[in-house]
Amino acid sequence: MEEVDKILIHALKQVGTEVSEETGSVRQFSSELIVEAVVRCVRVIDPGLGGALPTSLPPGMSARFRVGMSLAQACQDIGYKGEIGYQTFLYSNEPEIRSLLMFLVEKLPRESAEASDQPQGKSAVMQRAIAAAIRAQLSVPWLPPNCRLPLHSQTQSPGALHSFHVQRLSLAHCSPGKKPLKEVKDYLRDILPPVTAQPSHHASVVASILEQHTAELSAAQEWDSEWNSQGLLSRLKPQEYRSRKLTRLRKRIEEQLRSAALPSPESASGGPRPTGDLSELLQTEPSTSIPFVHQSDSDVQLRQQEEQLSLQEQQLCSEVDQLTADMKHMIVTHAQVLDELKQRELGNSEKEEKMQVKKKTIDLLPDSDDNLQKLKALVEASAKRVVHLASQWEKHRAPLIDEHRRLKEICSRQDLESSQKLSEIKSVHDKIRVSTEEAKKKEETYKQLVTELENLPQDASRSAYTQRILEIVSNIKKQKEEITKILSDTKDLQKEINSLTGKLDRTFAVTDELVFKDAKKDESVRKSYKYLAALHENCNQLIQTIEYTGTILREIRDLEEQIETENGSKTVANLERILSDYKAIRQENSALAAKVREG
Amino acid sequence: MAATETQLMLSVGLIEKDVNGDTLWVWCYPSVSSDLRQVLLSKCCLTQDSRDFHTFVFGQFCRTWFYISTVEVQEPTALNKVTHFSIVVTAKDFNPEKYAALSRILCRMYIKHGSPVKMMEAYVTVLTKGICQSDENGSFLIKDYDIRKAFLAGSVKDVVSQFGLETIILYTALMLKKRIVVHHPRIEALLEFTRVLPTLTWHRKDWSILHPYVHLTDTELEDLKKCPGYVAGFVDPEVSNRSDLFDVYVNLPDSVITVSQSAKGMFKEKAVCF
Repeated sequence: MEEVDKILIHALKQVGTEVSEETGSVRQFSSELIVEAVVRCVRVIDPGLGGALPTSLPPGMSARFRVGMSLAQACQDIGYKGEIGYQTFLYSNEPEIRSLLMFLVEKLPRESAEASDQPQGKSAVMQRAIAAAIRAQLSVPWLPPNCRLPLHSQTQSPGALHSFHVQRLSLAHCSPGKKPLKEVKDYLRDILPPVTAQPSHHASVVASILEQHTAELSAAQEWDSEWNSQGLLSRLKPQEYRSRKLTRLRKRIEEQLRSAALPSPESASGGPRPTGDLSELLQTEPSTSIPFVHQSDSDVQLRQQEEQLSLQEQQLCSEVDQLTADMKHMIVTHAQVLDELKQRELGNSEKEEKMQVKKKTIDLLPDSDDNLQKLKALVEASAKRVVHLASQWEKHRAPLIDEHRRLKEICSRQDLESSQKLSEIKSVHDKIRVSTEEAKKKEETYKQLVTELENLPQDASRSAYTQRILEIVSNIKKQKEEITKILSDTKDLQKEINSLTGKLDRTFAVTDELVFKDAKKDESVRKSYKYLAALHENCNQLIQTIEYTGTILREIRDLEEQIETENGSKTVANLERILSDYKAIRQENSALAAKVREG
Repeated sequence: MAATETQLMLSVGLIEKDVNGDTLWVWCYPSVSSDLRQVLLSKCCLTQDSRDFHTFVFGQFCRTWFYISTVEVQEPTALNKVTHFSIVVTAKDFNPEKYAALSRILCRMYIKHGSPVKMMEAYVTVLTKGICQSDENGSFLIKDYDIRKAFLAGSVKDVVSQFGLETIILYTALMLKKRIVVHHPRIEALLEFTRVLPTLTWHRKDWSILHPYVHLTDTELEDLKKCPGYVAGFVDPEVSNRSDLFDVYVNLPDSVITVSQSAKGMFKEKAVCF
């Protein structure tokens, strides 16, 4: 019961009821406290209903009576199904109050539903804060510059805006494994200004830092992805891979530059033509530079010179044409002659060879048959020797070729294995990445939950309640078991009683008959028959008395329980209060009646 | 005549492709210069990435004719770990039929015995005596393969029926010792067509201008440029952009003959070479 009361008190405190620290259970609630608590709850549950109700009981009895009635009506409107009336508030009763308060507390709306829907996480919290700040700023109406209060200067005047200027920052880079020089360290420590002081304009600090950071982050990510996809495949160390890539890029740049520079030699070959025209132009230049004073004479002279020059030009052109034709002819003949020369040379070499052979044959001719035989034998011998050499070579060659092939097989197999291992490495890398991300996320949520846990109100501890609930459940289970055991025992006993009663009746019937039969003849048997009957009767009475005692004991227990419950409802105190209130009401009535009679 | 003719054969070589996918020049007799070896490896269809299998190809490089026959090794065989092999015969003369027959015999010997020694014996007998036993009934005689038969093996009528009147361009170019380039994606068709073209100038009987199988590599193109006039066959379609290599360009699958700009004047030239 204490836990329930604690929960109720906690909930009422949250609603706004001022409950002092000493009140530990509902039993100690006074009527005023009850009324205040109920009114506040009703106000939260249904503001329309609760607005009309006062939180404290007025002094006048009839007013109190009225407040009690309206409160009871309000509770019934909300949906309380139990019996409720003004007496519940004025002459309170612990169980009734408890049930009413529990009903009202359950009806209180839950505020936590809204917050738990949204995703947790530091970034989500920050985003929500940003959204709330922007919403607040947007809700403030725009005012012309003259009317602006200092409150608006941050958000509405353009002074707050800065353009995104980025400046290069010098940061201390330490490559892993290489210790920086002492001078570098000194420079970094003493002379290099901090990052916030490096940009020339204070406003570009944020922009520069953002830019630097994003550049480094994206470079690291790109390197990671490239290394994981191509770098591992190339089976080189990172530095080797990087240097190879550098040389490759340089080569490409050179090729591009070369191909771009190529067209210029072609244009250079077109150069001589314009200069030829230029020289002609320059030659004709002097004719135009003659001063205009002697115009008529100079005109005639000019024309004469022009004619001469054009004649010369024509002559030169014809000479050039002839020369080109000659040249072409010469080229053709030259080619022909070269060709003939080559062929003759080839023919010469062939003829020389033939001549050598013929010379040798002529030398051998005198003794032709013999020499022929000898030659044939020689040829055969050398052929045999060559074949023998070939077989010897084959003996050497075959194992070498086999060895080569075998090693190639091993090599390809190893290649296969290494590529398999590479793919395994890749998958392991992926797994590592995934698990690091998960670990990060879990750490974040853990930190966040820890902070939330610290921030939670410490009054109502759920674990204690859940413990108690579990204990109660186990107790109930045990009790249920015991009850079933007792029930089964009772059943057995009842069965035994029934069987014994039956046995008894049967035995008595048989004995009765037997004895009665003999009772007619014998006197002692008659006496024993009388005793038997009396015994039977007395035993019956005994049994009845025992049953009666049992019933009475049960009634006693029930009555005791009722007495306890009645005692709990402090009826006596309430009766006294009712009497006193009744007297007070009667007095008020008589006072009012007197007033009415007077006025 | 057998004596001089046998001096025309220069060397025989062996290229193998094994189960690892490697193609290696494994054996040769007597010797082959490294330049020629590189060229021969590139001509052999085993080194090329495409799965085309050419049984017999031939060509010319540095005034040496080479003839390559390729065979796929079928089980059961004395050769282990070899999937395909090619036999390369180099010679000074142009006679595809003769060397194709010889290579076939040598291939069969190699497959049967699994060692090049036997093959070399046959080669040496051909070299010294001009005759060798073949597995089929009968023997291989050099004098069965006259060079004039090789010259006449192609069909000029096919060329004329394919190109009609434009054959005149080819005839003129050949007479004037110009550079003709033929392109066809399939090597067999290329070889068949280009070997016929020198027949148009029958009075010269000069097949040394024929380079039926050329790749666009620097060594081969340098060698080609040493000849003033030639008939060159390319499988690579890129050759159509190399106008520095030809005066007349024949696109064989489309049957189109193009004369390059610089050579358009050849029809007007007065000098005619014999």
